[in-house]
Amino acid sequence: MATTNATITINSDITSSPLSISKTMVLKKFQSTDGIEETTGLRTKKFNATTAVEIIANTEGTADKASKVYIRNTGSDSAEFFYIALNNNAAASDSTETIGKLYAGDWMFIPWKATAATTHDIVVAPSTTDEMTLEYMVFQE
Amino acid sequence: MATTTATVNISSTDLQPGNALGISASTTLYQTGTTTGLDLVDYGVGKLTEASAGDALAEALGTADTSNYVYICNTSTDKDQYMVIGIHDTVIGNLGSEEWLFMPWNMGDADAEINIEAEASGSITYEYAIFKSTYTLPAKT
Repeated sequence: MATTNATITINSDITSSPLSISKTMVLKKFQSTDGIEETTGLRTKKFNATTAVEIIANTEGTADKASKVYIRNTGSDSAEFFYIALNNNAAASDSTETIGKLYAGDWMFIPWKATAATTHDIVVAPSTTDEMTLEYMVFQE
Repeated sequence: MATTTATVNISSTDLQPGNALGISASTTLYQTGTTTGLDLVDYGVGKLTEASAGDALAEALGTADTSNYVYICNTSTDKDQYMVIGIHDTVIGNLGSEEWLFMPWNMGDADAEINIEAEASGSITYEYAIFKSTYTLPAKT
């Protein structure tokens, strides 16, 4: 059984009482105390078109379990971003379903249901034809 | 201008035998496409009961297609209790006990609310923080 830790730290002075969040979790199998044992490894991919591209297929996770996905935009231009979506054209608005915009330097870490259908493919669309890079990794049961 | 930073560290010595995992990433949360820090936040603690269906943690009431970031933590210590996290009708994943997520949220359309649901029994206490570009309150009824 592997042990994988993920820690988030958020610090903010938005409020008059500084906001400070720090949480560590162990990546575990669904409804279990056993650690996740499989991963795709860390991938890096470059993009130079605004076309929506599938980066993670639903088949890379086990349906309805406790998969996790880490994605980071490694860029440095604050105006450039990727739309991150589940099974759509990764546009500004889509009912099934654009999650959000990952700007330069931004990262995300989400649970991923990996339902055994294309409804849970993870799709990205760059905002520009300038070369942009994502790194991403899937943790699976 | 407020400064909010979000940092993640993911580590494991045994997930990838012979190749210790060590991811570290940090980002500053900016208003849409700028280098001006986000200065709106909504954070707190809530409790979900399994008996109720999904609830909207946040309605997509602000300006669509903007920079927003969501942190949610399932603080339950019962391994059988998890939260189903979704955007409108699309489930993103299952957030297990003592797990957290951090993701962008573009509020791409009026049907892009963040939904949460408690499973499989009892009640779950959760913590959340939503860092926003715009903050629109629900209409008075």
